[in-house]
Amino acid sequence: MIKLYDYILSVNCYKQRLMMSILDVPFESVPVDFYPGWEHKGEEFKKINPLGHIPVIDDDGFMLRDAHAILIYLASKYDPSGLWYPTSNPELIGETSQWMLFAEGTTNTASAARLYVNLGYEFDIEACRVGAHRLFRVLDEHLWFREQENLDWICSGGHPTVADIAIFPDVILSEEGGIARIDYPALRRWTDRVKRIPGFEPMPGIFPAGDARPLSHEGEVNA
Amino acid sequence: MTESLMNLWHPIASSDDVQYRHVFQGQLLGREFAVWRADDDFVNVWENRCLHRGVRLSIGQNEGLELRCRYHGWRYASRSAGCTYIPAHPADAPARTICNRTFPSVERYGLIWSGEDPVGEPPQIAALEDSETLLLRSIVVNAPIKLVLGHLANYRFSITADPDNVATTSIDYQDERSLSLTATSDGEESTVVFFVQPVDSNRSVIRGLLSSSPSGTERLPTLRHHSMELSRLRDTVELEALDGPSLEPMVATIEQDPVALSEVVTSSGRKAALRVQVLRKWTTAEGVVGLELESIGKPLPTHQPGAHIDVHLPNGLVRQYSLTNAPGEGSLYRIGVKLEPDSRGGSACLHETVKEGDVLAISEPRNNFPLRRDTVKTILIAGGIGVTPLLAMAQTLRSNNLDYELHYFAQTDGHLAFPEVLHELGDAVVLRLGLSPDETSRALTVLLAGYKPAMHIYVCGPGPMLEATRRIASGADWPDEAVHFEYFQNTIEVDSSSSFEVSLARSALTLEVPSGKTILEVLRDNGIALISSCEQGACGTCEVAVIEGEPEHQDVYLNDSEKLAGQRIMTCVSRAKSSRLVLDI
Repeated sequence: MIKLYDYILSVNCYKQRLMMSILDVPFESVPVDFYPGWEHKGEEFKKINPLGHIPVIDDDGFMLRDAHAILIYLASKYDPSGLWYPTSNPELIGETSQWMLFAEGTTNTASAARLYVNLGYEFDIEACRVGAHRLFRVLDEHLWFREQENLDWICSGGHPTVADIAIFPDVILSEEGGIARIDYPALRRWTDRVKRIPGFEPMPGIFPAGDARPLSHEGEVNA
Repeated sequence: MTESLMNLWHPIASSDDVQYRHVFQGQLLGREFAVWRADDDFVNVWENRCLHRGVRLSIGQNEGLELRCRYHGWRYASRSAGCTYIPAHPADAPARTICNRTFPSVERYGLIWSGEDPVGEPPQIAALEDSETLLLRSIVVNAPIKLVLGHLANYRFSITADPDNVATTSIDYQDERSLSLTATSDGEESTVVFFVQPVDSNRSVIRGLLSSSPSGTERLPTLRHHSMELSRLRDTVELEALDGPSLEPMVATIEQDPVALSEVVTSSGRKAALRVQVLRKWTTAEGVVGLELESIGKPLPTHQPGAHIDVHLPNGLVRQYSLTNAPGEGSLYRIGVKLEPDSRGGSACLHETVKEGDVLAISEPRNNFPLRRDTVKTILIAGGIGVTPLLAMAQTLRSNNLDYELHYFAQTDGHLAFPEVLHELGDAVVLRLGLSPDETSRALTVLLAGYKPAMHIYVCGPGPMLEATRRIASGADWPDEAVHFEYFQNTIEVDSSSSFEVSLARSALTLEVPSGKTILEVLRDNGIALISSCEQGACGTCEVAVIEGEPEHQDVYLNDSEKLAGQRIMTCVSRAKSSRLVLDI
């Protein structure tokens, strides 16, 4: 079984739990005393990841670190449909890679602001917040135009990809870092859609969405 | 300037922002809104604040007809914003005073319009009336409205979305929050109307509408062209705003929360606080008319499933009828009235005299038959016209995705009231037609086998059927508190021969109740106002807590264990076995 070196309040660890929950992959969570123990920075943990970061997975002896790389691995290995990491379509895999890099940006701004506020990390908080708003503006516009084409997800296929999973946690917890989402209506709607993906799993600070409107209603509207 | 903006209608969202089962977070003049579309397309604009702990309702859950706060799960009804359910008090009906602040809403030109205190109607723009319009992507600008408007006057755009297409732009009109521009190129014209929404002193949203929608393939490039040009304008304005004076944020006044979370009893007797007009009257089943009552003037107070109203009839009689519609469904009350063969004038008056358009006096809704929602399964058992409160319950349970069944016992299918609602409830409805009393008991025995914790029964119907249900449920190990019932009337022969003393603990008053008079009457004679409704021991409205003494229960409202506990009394019919009762009033 996959072992996930894990911390309940880490967005990057949550990305893995969310992906594995959606793909229905069983895993064992190995708790790391991230705060206040800083166990990930200790000598013991550096044998697992010399960078001193979590998450790390151990899939039957195969070790992998870095949140977004692990997402790609999990989707490539455990999603038989091939839709979450769409390698068979060059345009789509290009887009997916582009937005996976964008996710590095949201992690280093929005989620960094959260670490500053919640766990006392020393970051330039103003720069984090300004940077997050800059990225959210771009993403909100992108998602608004996607909706104009009746597309629900970040990449242009009809199915969510690892990019949605990589970006969603940074966005949905942004208010913990003092980054409001009131100015990003399309972004807020997309977070509802992600929460309605079958197998969705929340973490502390994330609330599940209610049910979508039952289909029987739509008939009434059209009638 | 803020003063005059307060009295205007402003666009606060686009229609597409307010999707089903989503809660849009908006802001106008410093005040935050939770904006949500109910399943019947009514758009609610509410103060973004739960009355309980002040949490933003925009993180709550839109459940179709109710909005549920994320923090402690309080539910509020669409339209009225009244509280319908408090999970911490699952067996109680929330007080009517718990009602969120609402703001008006109108949908026009693909935008949701609201305002702090708007006068008249939202603006009508000639250029947008006749043709199919195209709503541009809204652009948030961190700058004051005045600065944004100033720059928009210089907005230049291309008609064809081809950046090389040079158009001449002229201003059609401009006021304190909007302007209209027309671009002309090679004899072709395009008009754009901008509304600038004053979000806060230093934040605005540009909402633009093109007067004519470009054809299919041109639509998306046109939207992109404007989004790009307006973003460019935004960047310029924001740079300029950085150099401007720093402005204090607007502070929206928050209305006081209702003081009383429990209802204070002040009204005397059976008060007809509301006036309603009969909007529709129709025959919904054999011998049953449906009546839709619409408010005159202010919106009707929120009701909860199980609630009833007193109807004050033109002939002076007062009768109780359950509301059949679910909370949040329309701003009207719907009741079903069966013509009783031995009518003492109540049902006959509603059947024969009252007609569409008539004005009736009614009480505010009261709920003595509250629906729990912390259940694994709810069994609703209706006998004949007893279906009325259960229909409201069924619609609520359905909308909350809670497991339930509605067993409807009736003579024939011609006797089924509100068939359109039954149809909508679908498979959850089990019809039991033409059963004899024995067959009914057998059916109930099968139905009530297999009690599990967190299952509840709600039954309403004729007396003998309620007796049978309670007896069978008790035999099948259902605890009394899981069996909820509502009688049409009290058929117990009330014995009022005893005489005794009542001490009112909080009023420091001791009164004699002579034979032939009720506690309620004695209290009223002595100036103590107590609300009542049916005045025959069936509805539970005049209930009072007993501190000392042994009540002689003659009502059909309390269940057996409640009667045995002797802690509550229906003052309209019940009396005392002991020589003295100490009451908590």
